[in-house]
Amino acid sequence: MAIMKRKQKVSDEIPTASLADIAFLLLIFFLTTTVFNEEKGLPIVLPEQSEEQEVSPKNLIFFIIQPDGRVIVRRGESEQEQTVSYNQVEGILRAELAQNPNLIAAIQTDPRAAYRHMVNVLDEVKSAGAERISLQELEN
Amino acid sequence: MAIKGGGFSRKSGAGSEIPTSSLADIAFLLLIFFMVTTVFRKEKKRTIEWVEARATEKIDEKRKNILHIWIERDGVVYINDVRTPFEDISEIVRPIYADNRELVVAIRGDRDVPYSQINTITEELQEAGAVRVTFATRIEQRAGRARR
Repeated sequence: MAIMKRKQKVSDEIPTASLADIAFLLLIFFLTTTVFNEEKGLPIVLPEQSEEQEVSPKNLIFFIIQPDGRVIVRRGESEQEQTVSYNQVEGILRAELAQNPNLIAAIQTDPRAAYRHMVNVLDEVKSAGAERISLQELEN
Repeated sequence: MAIKGGGFSRKSGAGSEIPTSSLADIAFLLLIFFMVTTVFRKEKKRTIEWVEARATEKIDEKRKNILHIWIERDGVVYINDVRTPFEDISEIVRPIYADNRELVVAIRGDRDVPYSQINTITEELQEAGAVRVTFATRIEQRAGRARR
């Protein structure tokens, strides 16, 4: 008789009290481990193919990127050239933009130059707050 | 007529515990909802060395509006996991752009790719009419500046 009594004490129900905890734990685990890869980059709008604009040379500043990453700065009107390293570009452009807000930064890249040199200069130009940017390949 | 127990019996009849028996159902429902609605990217990861920029911005655009163009170090271009010759880019992008006018093309180029190849791609994109472009970059840490 004593054996029968012990058997009856065992509950015949599945213990569901902790099920919610388990489910929420899983939920929180997936919530925290999910990585959204968001798109990051330097946005630019290319001109339409047929679109050509006449620009007065005094509104232009050229940044000519050499294959080794050096940058030649040339103001639209003058023939004077100045060779700088890319991290000086922001300061130069900032000063120029303060004088002429309509200035267009024309980035001309040597076709042999590495992509990173062009992005470095574009980065500087964007950091300087330039709104009007032109990307060109340097013609030899 | 006297009310039994002075009217208190009704109040004490309400359960003082929060009903937790349905909590598991709610949690699992949420779990299953998120599992079902999660969309995994089908595109394969390519090995490129990213370019870094301080001015890196978050592109606030839905994922379906973004098309990735990968350029590996050796100048091989992939669009949607398909190896694409440079001259075919515009033909491939044009129908995608026609379907979705809000398309943003993200150029994911290796840092050592010569610029002529990037220029070819932008020209092809112009030809296709997809003029909204981003140069995909990683945010540059200040300390990492000396490395470039």
